[in-house]
Amino acid sequence: MRYDSITEAIGNTPLVRIDPAVHGLRTIDLYAKLEMLNPFGSVKDRAAWNMARPLLPEAVEHGSQVVELSSGNTAKALAVVAGMHGLGFKSVTNRMRVPEIKDLLLLLGAEIEELPGQSECLDPTATDDPLTLFHRTLSASGSAYLHTDQYFNPRNTEAHLTGTGPEIVKDLDGRVPDWFVACVGTAGSSTGVARALREEDPSVRVVGLVAAKSDFIPGIRTIDEVQEVGLFDPDTYDTMESVSADEAIEGMLTLNRRCGILGGPTGGAAYFGAVRHLRALDEESGERRTAVFIVCDRVESYLSYVRQRRPDLLGRPPRKNSPADLSAAEVGRAPSVTVAEARRWIEADRPLVVDLRSPYAYAALHIDGSVNIVDELFSELVQGGLPFSRSRPVLLACPVGEQSARYAALLTRMGHPDVRSLAGGIIAWRDAGAPLVRD
Amino acid sequence: MDGRPLYLAPRLESRLRSLVAATGTLHALTDALGSPVHVVVPDQIAENLERFRSVYRAHHLPGQVFYAHKANRSSALLRRLAATDAGVDVASLGELQHALGAGFTPDRITATGPKNPEFLWLAARTGVTVSVDSAAELDQLAVLVRKHALAPVRVLLRLAGFETSGVKVLSRRSRFGTPVRELERLLEAVERHGDVVDPTGVAFHLDTTSVAEKATALEGCLAALESCRSRGLRPRAVDVGGGFGVSYLAEREQWDAYTTELTAAVLGRRPPLTWGGHGYGLRNESGTLRGSLGLYPAHRSVAGAAYLDELLAQPAPSLGGRPLAALLLEHLYDLYTEPGRALLDQCGLTLAKVLEVRDQGPGEELLVRLAAKADDIALEDHGVLMDPVVVPGRGAGPGEGPVAVHLFGSLCLETDLITRRTVFLPRRPVPGDLLAFANTAGYAMDFHATRAQHQPVARKVAAWQDGEEWRWCLDDQFWPITPSRGAQ
Repeated sequence: MRYDSITEAIGNTPLVRIDPAVHGLRTIDLYAKLEMLNPFGSVKDRAAWNMARPLLPEAVEHGSQVVELSSGNTAKALAVVAGMHGLGFKSVTNRMRVPEIKDLLLLLGAEIEELPGQSECLDPTATDDPLTLFHRTLSASGSAYLHTDQYFNPRNTEAHLTGTGPEIVKDLDGRVPDWFVACVGTAGSSTGVARALREEDPSVRVVGLVAAKSDFIPGIRTIDEVQEVGLFDPDTYDTMESVSADEAIEGMLTLNRRCGILGGPTGGAAYFGAVRHLRALDEESGERRTAVFIVCDRVESYLSYVRQRRPDLLGRPPRKNSPADLSAAEVGRAPSVTVAEARRWIEADRPLVVDLRSPYAYAALHIDGSVNIVDELFSELVQGGLPFSRSRPVLLACPVGEQSARYAALLTRMGHPDVRSLAGGIIAWRDAGAPLVRD
Repeated sequence: MDGRPLYLAPRLESRLRSLVAATGTLHALTDALGSPVHVVVPDQIAENLERFRSVYRAHHLPGQVFYAHKANRSSALLRRLAATDAGVDVASLGELQHALGAGFTPDRITATGPKNPEFLWLAARTGVTVSVDSAAELDQLAVLVRKHALAPVRVLLRLAGFETSGVKVLSRRSRFGTPVRELERLLEAVERHGDVVDPTGVAFHLDTTSVAEKATALEGCLAALESCRSRGLRPRAVDVGGGFGVSYLAEREQWDAYTTELTAAVLGRRPPLTWGGHGYGLRNESGTLRGSLGLYPAHRSVAGAAYLDELLAQPAPSLGGRPLAALLLEHLYDLYTEPGRALLDQCGLTLAKVLEVRDQGPGEELLVRLAAKADDIALEDHGVLMDPVVVPGRGAGPGEGPVAVHLFGSLCLETDLITRRTVFLPRRPVPGDLLAFANTAGYAMDFHATRAQHQPVARKVAAWQDGEEWRWCLDDQFWPITPSRGAQ
C-alpha cells in the first residue's frame, strides 16, 4: 500500500481471532483489535492525530508548542506529529513511570516536565494543585501553546466513534460483537467504540477495566483516577472491573507466548479481564457469540516494568567469574593490607594500584599513580580472564574495602599470585591522613 | 449509619499497642492531669534511630542522623536521644538552648532555618554547625565571628533550585536556600570568609514526598561539592534534610476504600462522609472530579528509614547512572539526614476524654464532644486521617456498634472540629471513655496548640515499660537515668 504521509497509515488495524485452545471459551469467539499496529505504535495515534490535526495550521503559523498531560503513548504520537510539522512538544506528567517511554520521548525531541510530588508537611488550605497551575500557565496571555487536552477533548472520543468502532463492525461482517472489553485510560477509545457499537446494536455489553487501586498498569487508571477524566461517564459501561498488575502481565504473557501478539501490559490486562469476565457467561447460551478487546500497544517498551515486577521472567544464566559466586570464607581469606602496609608496599614494589570507584569519584580525589577501572567495567573484564599479568602485583582499592576484597579473592581464585585488597578502602586511607590527589 | 463502616485503623507497633491496652494507666493519667494529655514514649525514638542507622550501615555510609527538633517540644524525647549517638537539628534560639541543656554537645548539633542574631551568636559561640541560608547570612555570620573574636564556625551551605538535564523535574519553590545557579557567588563569599568559616558541606531540604525530586537535588549537591573541591575547599558532607514520612494506617485496603468512597461522596454518588460535605480539596465540576486530595497519604508502603534507602538507591543520570549511595561512598562524603516525623513514628499518643454523646435521631451521626481543642490533636492540620482508639471508662460495658460520629472540640467555635471526617467507631462511646489518638508525636502534639479561651494546653508525660507495667513521669522530669527505669 502506498501513502503520501505516514499519518494516512493510522487506523484500519487488523482484528485477529484468539485461538480457542488458548482462552478455553467454548461458545464465545474472542477477537483482538490490534491497535499496536498503528504507525507510532499504539491506539493513541488515532486520538492524537484527530485532536491535533485541525489545530496544526494555526500552530504552525504561530510556532506554538504542542503540550499534553501524558506519560506515554499520547505523548509519543504527539511528539511525532509535532516534529513532522516543525513544532516542539512538551509532555507534563506526574505519572511517567516507564523509563523506556521517557527515553524514547527524549529521543523524539520532546521536552518532559514532571510535576512536583505531594508536600510532606502538608498545608491543607493550599488549593493550588500542580494541575491547576498547569492550566493557568496555558491560559496566561501571550502563551503560544497547542493544548490537545486529551482527557476532555471530544475529538479523542470521535476518533474511535468514526474509526475504531465502525472498523470492528465491518470486520465482523456487519455484526456488532456481544461484548466489548476495554481498559479505561482517557476513556476515549472505550467511550467512542461503545457509542459506535450501540448505535448499531444497543444490546452490546461494555466492560470497562480499571487498575486495582494500589497497583500501577501503564495506560490504565484506577477507579478513583477515572473520575478525574472529563470524557469518563460511568453510564458508558455495563460493568467496571479491576485488574491487578500481576494479572496484566499474566495476560500479556499469554498474548506474547501463545498468540504471537506482541502486545504490552495494557493489552494483557484487557485480555485477562475479557477472559475472566466471559468465562462465567460461557455456558449461559448455546449459540455462538463474539467478544472484542483492544491491544493498545507493544511489549518492547515495558521490559523494565516487567523486570521490576517479574524478574523471574527475564532470568539469565549465571555469569562466569562473578564475584557473586564467592563464598564468605573465600572473601574472608582474600589477601589484604592495611593502609600503613600498603604505603610501604607501594614504596618498595610499585604494585599496580587499581581504583574501582566511578570516574567521577576518582577524578575528585585518588591515590597518586593509581589507575581507575570502575567496578562495572572490571566485572566485565574478569569474565574474559585475568586482566593483569601474573608477574605484576596488584593493589585493589574501593570505598570501604568490601568490593576490593571480593575481587582480590576472585583474582586469586583465577590464579593471580599477588593481588591484595586495601583494608578499609579509600576511606581508611583518607582517615589515616595518607595523601589523595586531584590530577 | 449508611452502609458499612469505613475504618481507618491506626498502625500500632508493640509499644503503642501495649500502651493503648493499659487502660488503668491511661485513666489514671487523665484523672491526675486532666484532658487532654500527651504521652511520649522515649524508648521508641532510640529504636527508630537504630532503623536509620541500619540503612547507613547497609550502604557503608558514615555520617549523622539529626533529629528535627521542631516536630515536638518534648524534653523526654530529646534527652533520650541525647543518650544515644544521634545529633539534633535546631531551628530557633529556644531549641538550641534546649538541645544544649539536654546533653547534646555542639559537634552533634546543626542550626537551620530563619535565624535571629541571638540564635546565630549562641550557635557560633558554642561551635555548632550552621546551615547557611544565603550569601547574606554567611556575611552576617562572618561579621559576628570577627567582631566577637570567635573560633571559625563550621557551615553547611543550604542549596535550592536544582536543575536537571533531560527530564525536567519541577519542584515547589522554597523560601530557603541559595539557588544553585548562584553557587559560584556563594563560594566566592566562602573563600572571602575563609578565616572565620569552615565549609563542611552542602545541604538541601525539599518539602515533597517525591523521591525523584530529592534524587535530583542530591545529584545537584554532588555537582556542587565538586565545584567546592575544584576551588581547593575540602567539604565532606551532604545533608539531605528530612521528609521521609510516616505510614499512619495499619491497612492499605482501608485507606483505598475510604478515598474511593470520599470521591464518590464528592461526586454526589453517596451520602457525605464529612461535616458539611467538605471535600478535602476535591470538588465536583459537572460530574467530573477536579482539584486534588489535600490529605497526607496516610498509608505509605515506603516510609521512614525505608524511604531513605529508596532515595539512596536512585541512579544519578549525570554521573554514569550509578546509585546515589555508591557515589556518596566513593566520593568519601558523610551523609547527614534530618528526620523529624519519621524519627517520632510510634513515639506517642494523645488522650482526650469524652464529655458528651448526643443523638441526632435515627440514621444520623452521633455528636461526640471531647475535653480537648482541635489544636491539641493537630492530625487534621497535617491532613492525617486516622481513627482514635476507644479506651473504655471504668465500669462501661460494651456499647452497641458500629457507630458513625462527629468529633467536636471544647472551644466555643463552630470550626473546632477534631476532624471534619465522619469517624466510624466499633462501639458507641459514653461520657468518661477516653479516645486515644495514636502516633501524634510528630507535629500533632504542640506545634499548633493554643491557650484560646483560657483553655489549658495539654500536659505531656513520658512513659516507659518496666516489665509488664507502664510507668510515667511528667515530660520535664524525665532523664535517661530517671529512677525505676529498666535501664538502671
